[in-house]
Order: sequence, then C-alpha cells, then structure tokens
Amino acid sequence: MSNQINPQIVAAAELHATLASLKAEGYDFLEVLTGVDWGEEGLGVVYSLTKTATGEMTHVKSVCADKENPYLDSVCDLWAVAGIYEREAYDFYGIKFLNNPDCRRVFLREDWIGYPFRKDYDESQNPEFFLESEPISDKAVCFTLNEDGKVKKTETPIFGENDYVVNIGPQHPSTHGVLHFRTSLEGETVTKIDAHMGYIHRGIEKLSEGYTYPQCLGLTDRMDYLGAMQTRHALCMCVEQAMGIEVSERVQVIRTIMDELQRIDSHILFFSCLAQDLGATTAFLYGFRDREEILKIFEKTCGGRLILNYNMIGGVAHDLHPDFVKDVHRLIDEVIPHGLKEYHEIFTGNVIFQTRAKGVGVLSKDDVISYGCTGGTGRAAGWHCDLRKLRPYAAYDRVKFNEITFENGDSLDRYMVRLKEIEESCDIIRQLIDNIPEGPIQEKMKPIIKVPEGTYYSAVEGSRGILGVYLESKGDKTPYRLHYRSTGLPLVNVMDKACRGHLLADLITIGGTIDYIIPDVDR
Amino acid sequence: MFDFNIVTQWLDTLLMSFLPAWATVLIECVLVALVIITLYAVFAIVMIYMERKVCAWFQCRLGPDRVGPWGLLQVFCDVLKMMTKEIVNFRNTDQLLHHVAPFLVITASMTTFSCLPWNKGAQIIDFNVGVFFFLAISSIGVVGILLAGWSANNKYSLIGAMRSGAQIISYELSIGMIMLAMICLTGTMSFSEICQQQENLGWNIIRGHVPAVLCFILYLIAGNAECNRGPFDMPEAESELTAGYHTEYSGMDFGYYYLAEYMNLFICAGIAATIFLGGWAAPLVPGWEQWNHIMLYVPGAVWFVLKVFFVLMLLLWERWTFPRLRIDQLLTLEWKYMLPMTMTLLVVMALCVSFGFVWN
Amino acid sequence: MENKSYFSGLFSGIKSLCTGLKVTGRELFTKKVTERYPENRKTNELPERFRGVLVMPHNEKNEHKCIGCGICEMQCPNGTIKVESEMVEVDGKKKKQLVRYIYDHGCCMYCMLCTRACPQGAITFAPEYECAVFSREALIMQLNQPDSKCEEKPAPAKPAVAPKPAAAAAESQPVAGNATPDAAPAAPAADSAADEKMAKLMAAAKKAADNAAAEKVAAEEAAAKAAAAPDDAELKAAAEEAAAKATKLATAAENFAKKVAEAQQ
Repeated sequence: MSNQINPQIVAAAELHATLASLKAEGYDFLEVLTGVDWGEEGLGVVYSLTKTATGEMTHVKSVCADKENPYLDSVCDLWAVAGIYEREAYDFYGIKFLNNPDCRRVFLREDWIGYPFRKDYDESQNPEFFLESEPISDKAVCFTLNEDGKVKKTETPIFGENDYVVNIGPQHPSTHGVLHFRTSLEGETVTKIDAHMGYIHRGIEKLSEGYTYPQCLGLTDRMDYLGAMQTRHALCMCVEQAMGIEVSERVQVIRTIMDELQRIDSHILFFSCLAQDLGATTAFLYGFRDREEILKIFEKTCGGRLILNYNMIGGVAHDLHPDFVKDVHRLIDEVIPHGLKEYHEIFTGNVIFQTRAKGVGVLSKDDVISYGCTGGTGRAAGWHCDLRKLRPYAAYDRVKFNEITFENGDSLDRYMVRLKEIEESCDIIRQLIDNIPEGPIQEKMKPIIKVPEGTYYSAVEGSRGILGVYLESKGDKTPYRLHYRSTGLPLVNVMDKACRGHLLADLITIGGTIDYIIPDVDR
Repeated sequence: MFDFNIVTQWLDTLLMSFLPAWATVLIECVLVALVIITLYAVFAIVMIYMERKVCAWFQCRLGPDRVGPWGLLQVFCDVLKMMTKEIVNFRNTDQLLHHVAPFLVITASMTTFSCLPWNKGAQIIDFNVGVFFFLAISSIGVVGILLAGWSANNKYSLIGAMRSGAQIISYELSIGMIMLAMICLTGTMSFSEICQQQENLGWNIIRGHVPAVLCFILYLIAGNAECNRGPFDMPEAESELTAGYHTEYSGMDFGYYYLAEYMNLFICAGIAATIFLGGWAAPLVPGWEQWNHIMLYVPGAVWFVLKVFFVLMLLLWERWTFPRLRIDQLLTLEWKYMLPMTMTLLVVMALCVSFGFVWN
Repeated sequence: MENKSYFSGLFSGIKSLCTGLKVTGRELFTKKVTERYPENRKTNELPERFRGVLVMPHNEKNEHKCIGCGICEMQCPNGTIKVESEMVEVDGKKKKQLVRYIYDHGCCMYCMLCTRACPQGAITFAPEYECAVFSREALIMQLNQPDSKCEEKPAPAKPAVAPKPAAAAAESQPVAGNATPDAAPAAPAADSAADEKMAKLMAAAKKAADNAAAEKVAAEEAAAKAAAAPDDAELKAAAEEAAAKATKLATAAENFAKKVAEAQQ
C-alpha cells in the first residue's frame, strides 16, 4: 500500500473555484493545508481534502504566481479551519491569503523578520535571543487585492475600545500549557476570544528539514506528549509506506496495542485535568493513580514514561517485556474497570458537573467539520471521523470495536465520548493481547534511510483526532518538507466559536473537554 | 462539670485586691487578647495540618510527611516562609485600601472567633443577643474581600471579589434563617444559655429532631459557601481566576487571608457544634447514671473541640469530593433551593415548638 | 436536568452527591499510593530499559568496547556526544583509539539513536534517575574511565585447548569475551566515502567475521568441557558466557560487514 499522493495542480486564479467545486462534490473536510517552498517552482500550498462520508482523499496543489510577493485566495469562507491553517502558512512562508479576515502571524513574534520556512531564509536577520518582551498586536490584518493588482493591507482592531479584556494565560492553570487567550468579557459572559499561540513553538518541522529520518522520529514524541505513540506511529508508517517496507504482523499488532494504551492514558489524563479544572481535585488524583499503571507498562517495555521512543522505522525499538501481557491484563481487567466505575460515581453522575457540562459549548456537526475538529470533539457532534474505521491501518482491520458517537456536541458529550472510548480501547487490546503473532520486531533497514522522491501523506487516529504526516522527499536522507497535521490547532481555533455567549467558568469546561495539547499546537 | 468562672473570678478578685479597677480591666483585657491570639494561631496550625492530611487521605495520598515526624513541622515552615516573604507593592493599586483589606478580614474573623463558647464560663464575648452579634460581625469579612478586589487593580481580583460579594451576601440569608429556626427552639440568643440549655435538656439536634437535622445539613452547605471553600470557592477559583481576590497579595498580607479562611471554617464548625451539637455539653443519656457520671468528668472544652473537629471532618469531606459550582449554579442553589427550604424549616420549627412537638 | 421537575431534580441531585461522598469516604480507608522517595531509594528499582543516562560499561579490567569510530556522534541529533580519538601505532599497524568520550547529559534527548547505531555495543542507557546537579557544566561527563582502554581482541588462531578443564574455563572466558580490535581501524564509517580505505575495510570485515567464527569454536569447546564436568558450576557458567559473547561478536561482525557493504554503495 503506497501512500504517495499526486496533487492535482491548479492555477492560483482558479484555486478558490476548484476547491469550492470539490467541496460541492463531497470533499467537505479540509484535513490539512501545507505550505511548501518548491524552490525554483515557487511558493505554494497543498490542500488535502477528505470526503467525510467515505474517508476518500484528494490533494490540490497551487503555486503562487509571484515569488517576491506571493498571494493566494483564502478558502476560509469554505472551511473555517482554513483561517488558522492559512495564518500558519503566512507565518512560515509569507504567503498572503487574500480576504482572510485575520491573516496575522500565529506562532512567530509579531516583530519577526522574514519567513523561516523559505529555503532562502537568512537566519541572521533575527537576533539569537530576543531580549525585550513580545509585542502583541491588537489589530487583525486582512489582505485584499486592489484593482491595479497590488495587495492592500487593512488593519482592524480585534477588540473594541470598551471591551473588558482578561488574559487567560499564558501562565494559567487551566490552559493546558502555555496558551494565551485574550478574552473579552461582558460581566462574566465571554464575547470574544483571541487565541495567541507560539510561546513554546520549537520549529520541529523546520528542524526536521535538517535531520535524517530517524532523527526526526526523536522529535515526534515531544509534540503531543499524550499521543507520543501515535505521532511516532504516523511518521514511521509514512516513511515505511513511502519506502515500500512491510512491517511484520507482530509489529502491526504491537503498535496497535501501544496506540490504544496511549489513548487510554490520554483519556484518563483528560478526565483528570477536566476534574481539576472544575475544582474536583480528588477525582483528578484518582485519574493520576490509575494512569500510573499505564506508565509503568510503558516504562518496562519502552524505557520511558512520557517520551517513549518506541516505534522505529521498520519496527519497534524493543521487543515486548516478558511481563507485558500479564501487566496489560491486570490493567484492562482490574485497574481500568475499577477506575472508570469510580470516575462515573464521583464525577460523571455528579449533579454539579452535569449542569456545568450539559448544553455548554455546543458544536454542531457542520461546525466540527468546518472547523476540522476531529477526535472526541468531532465524534461528540455525531461526525464519524474515526480513522481506525475510515481508513484502517496497522491491525485495526482485524479487531471489532464501536466508534463512539454522540449527537449533541456539548461538553458532556465530549466528555462521555472519551470515557466510553477508554472501554473500547480496552476491548481492542483484549482482542489482541493474547495472540500477538510471532515475527521480527524490526525489519532490516539500510543504515542510511532515504525516502524515494515524491510526496506522501499518512494519517493515524491520535488520542485527540486525526494526526497526519505530510512528507515531501527529494530522495535525500533528510525530508524536503515534513508537515504534521496537528490535532490541537483546529481545536484551539474553535474555542472562540464554542465559548461565545458562555460564562467565564464555561470557558474552562469547554477548553477542558475540547482537549487540546499545546506542544502539539506549537510544534 | 467544671465551671471556668471559678478561674476568672479568682483572677479578678486577686487583681482587684491590690490594683485599681482600671488597671485590673486593662490587665484582663491584655490577657484575653493574648489568649485569643494564641488560640487562633494554634487552631489555625492544627487545622491547616489536618486539612492537608485528611484531603490527602481522601485522595489516596499520604499528605505532608517530609518535614518533621509525619510532616508535623510543615505548617510551621509554611508560616515562617510566609512571614519572611516580601510584601510586594504594585503601582496603580490603591495602597491604603490594599493594605487595610486583610486587616478587616482578620479582624472580623477574630471577633467572631471570640464568640465561641469554649467551656462553661469560658467565653470571651457573651451577651443576650450573641447570635445576632455573631451574624453581624461575620459579615464584615466580605467588605475586606471586596476592598481587596477593588484596590488591587487586577481584573481577576475584581471578578473574584464581585463573585464573593454576591455569594456571601446570598448565603448569609440562609445562615440567618437556620439560626432563626434554632433560636425558635432555644428561645434565647445567648450562646452560653444555648449551651447550658442543651446540657440540661439534650442537644438541639435531638430536641429539634427532623427539622433540626435538616437545618444542620443545610448549615454545613451554607457554611462552606460562607467560608468561600470548595465546592463554593468561586471567588478564588484557581482554574479560572488564578487566585481570585488575593491574586496580588504576597507575604503576610496573603497569609491573613489564608489564616482567615481556615479560621472561618473553624468558626463555622464551632457555631454548628454550639447550636446543634450542644457546645461544651457532655453527651448525657437520661437513665445511664454511671455513663453520665464519667462523661461529666471530662472538661467541657474537650467536648467542644471534639465536636468542632467532627463537624470539620464533615466539611472537609464535602470540600474534597465535589467539583466547583458555576456562579449561576451557586446563586440558583441559594435562591431556588436553600432559601425556600430554610424558610420552610423555620415555619416547621416554629410550629413544632408552639405545639410542643420537641423532645425535652 | 431541564426535563425534570423541581423536586425530582433536587432529589436526583442529592443522590448523585451522596454517591460521590460514598466514593471518597471509601477511599479514605484504602491503601495510599504515594511513593516515599528518599526512603525507598534502596528498594526502588527502575526497569532495566529505563533511559536515565548514557553509560559506557567497563569490565573488571577497566576496559570498554568503544573503538572511537564516531558513528554515535554522527547519529546524535543534538550534538550531545563528542568522540575524541587519536591514531596510535600498534604492532606496526595504525589504529584509532578512543581518548575521551564526552557526553553532555543536558542536551541528550534519549532517542537511542547512538546506542542503536553503535557497532560494538559499547554504550547503553542506564536506569539512573538521580541526575540532578548544580550546574550545566556538571552535566557534561566523560564516559570512558581514566586509563581505560579498549578491550583487546583475541589472537584469532588461538584454540582454547588446555590440559585441565578448570584451566580451559579460566582461559575461555577472556578469550571469548574479547572484542575484535581488528575491526577497530575499519569502523569509522564516517570515512566511508574514502575509496582507498574500502579495500582495507572489507578485509577487516572479513577478519572480524573470521574472528567471530574462531570465538564460536572456542566457546563450543568450552561448552563441551563443561558438559564433561557437569559438577563444576563455575565452568558451566563460564562456558555459557563464552557462548553468548561469541554470538554477540558474530552479530557485530555481521553488522559491520553490512555497514561496509553499505558504505561501498
């Protein structure tokens, strides 16, 4: 199975019309938008679209006409998620998206000079360390095209003059990382949120362009630290399929089990943190108590607890620990059922939590598709977006499980999806754990891994949504462009939509249940 | 039962015998003040330690056990830390109000603390409208909180203070209603008489049976809210407002809030012990002469403290189980549930008393 | 709740609160899960795969297996490792020798690329966890011990035959345990591009393979001796160890040959 993609090339002028017609054809989900610098060919963007009904994908590539002053039409009127993706591409490549109402930089500082992902970027333009604090602009930037063909820049204030703006973050207990929400309040009611990201952006994608493929792997665990297995799985799978390597059955099954363990880990942490955000410290510690058991299993087999470094290109790093099967049985038969019972008793059923979560932060099915909110957030709104079902990979085609979906799309449903998914994950593991096939745990690889020239895309179902890897190779030992579809970025982007009109306390509930991880957003 | 009046009278006559009246009063006042401050500090330390340990046990943890045996010295270290911390003055704060606010809170807390009847004859403030006085004084604390929020020039503080104002004023109503219901039963507003009555006639929670028990439960809820403690800790709701009204305080200024919060909890438990569980009255059972005989040997203060810690345990249990309410839920709870219930209970209690439907 | 009437909502709410209280009330008496860290440091064993710090194991003769090839240094994404080596003349042959193996623990991200790439199995991660120090400089450490040297390779044609079984056991261990210094000069895959070295490399690879075969023979002999004297536990253990080491050596030789082949491409 090859994951090579051949994007259909569309002229910049026809881009918007083409994408609109594709959307009408049923490609209604913009899975990922990748800015690329093709050198001589120019700067451009690859749009990856998915049919939500079938999971079928198509890719559209568009190159900007002008390299000095590149611009493309924005598609944020077709997909709300495009707004933030385009900001990312603008930030890194300087591609201006016309008519995007808010085309500011998103990760880099406002005073950053140049666009670092361009191949001709000169590092010396910016100081090694910025010594003064970061200026945060109060103005949204919009680019439009004048009649004479020049790009015009208009600035509009983000907040009104009389808005009562409270900073939630960057150092705040419940933003789950270094995230900054500028929140405008009317009494205690949220009227607008402006998310400011990039405080811990490490430029993993940029770094990867100078790294060999095994070295790139080392960085994946540091993105979504609660989806370390899955992120690494995605990159390994992408490289393996691109190189045409078939990993053994044993590796497929091990990876599936590990992904599910990681998902349980992530969902338990989700529960704990939500409880903590809502002030139920005791429930929080019960969650951590049970999560410890999973970490112990990881520690024994992988040698790490959070940074697991387990999947390798062509296999896995270690064979399973002799205690693995026994420990996992104890986990899924004793620890997790006991834990879940307790979570439901102390927290789920609690009238305070029920009233705080029910009907709060409702996202409809159309909203989640438009905003690209995959994972539990999407499934809570009734969107069947589980890649394990849509495009099965690893050993998911040989296990039976239910895709948990709900209808209302409120905080309570988002919470319930994840708690139910813990049970489903246990079920998947139960089907696999007793008959892990024998086989090599590592395919024989050349010492220097080179991916054949081409463009590749692979995605897995991460702990909190679709985690995609877009890889463009020129046949070298380093990737030409490596882009991750982060699960968190669309989720942070949807916060404004979900929180408007709710109370300040609801912002915490909604943020908790939407479940984003900042290192994943700030890659 | 040991009457503490013997000690105070003896001291008074002793001082009067060789000192003028004004000097006697002065010395007595100083002594009383010292006693209050000492008790206040000692119980605060005990409570902080207790809260940490108990909450840890609820959470499958051990709690502090690094400093000293079983972590006993932890609280002392914390106090030392707080006292040595710098008090930071921010620009653009209202300096005067900012520094006055913690004192208002601690003063209110200490004055209400003085209302507690520790033993027969061992009560610092005792007069015929003691309950009324207690309610009046305890409301002063909210002024300190509002001032803190206003003067800090910080949005978190302001939101926290406003929440606190709404919350405390609302729940004061419930507390007042519950107190009224119990006064119906006792017929007196003096704490010492309430205790004395309970020693003679049996505890109020038993005398008042169903309505009294319900009052007790509602009091525990309202009391927790009154003390700004979880699940009603919205004013500081750390996950929303970082630290609410005391965000901008550091060092001992913050320490006063911290201290007052814990002591308000103690006072809340103390009042519950007094008006429901007999205060310093020993658990006497009519007919069990020998049992009663032994019980009466135990000083009343011991009974009082035991009862207070029993109530505290209940409050901690509640505190560490539930998630925090949202501000509108909090007000709904008060105005739609608690207040109608307490008002009904007041009527029921009045009917019980007037038709003699109480156990004496 | 909106569907429920005032009272049923109230009672179901109270019931849910009581359920919560029941859970915490029950947990109050369960076993606590806190790890009592400084007290349990003696009994607290981390899993053997835990990656705490990079180490270079030395044997009792203060010998390590590092041949200074520098593959680990090339693999490291962060520049954590610095291998300083020098060329020395041994028996008329030029040979690379490790001088200092510098590891900056503060930069390490435990990605295992170095340990996986090492052809000699000279470095590994140890389950250490008390790594806190007071300065960044203290995190930079030298992994090879002072005055240590690379393990000597055995003479290839030396059959481990001895008159007495005990002597054979004593001898077979160092013989089989030794690495192949012949592989040493060839290992720097860094120079793989250098064509003139290629022939030498290939020869060395072959020699390493031969060595491994010789070790295998020696190990088998030791095993046979051990079988002859089943009572001698020490002898048996030595034979087993010798066999294990011979296998490892064979794998290393095979890997090395593969690397050479790759470099040739």
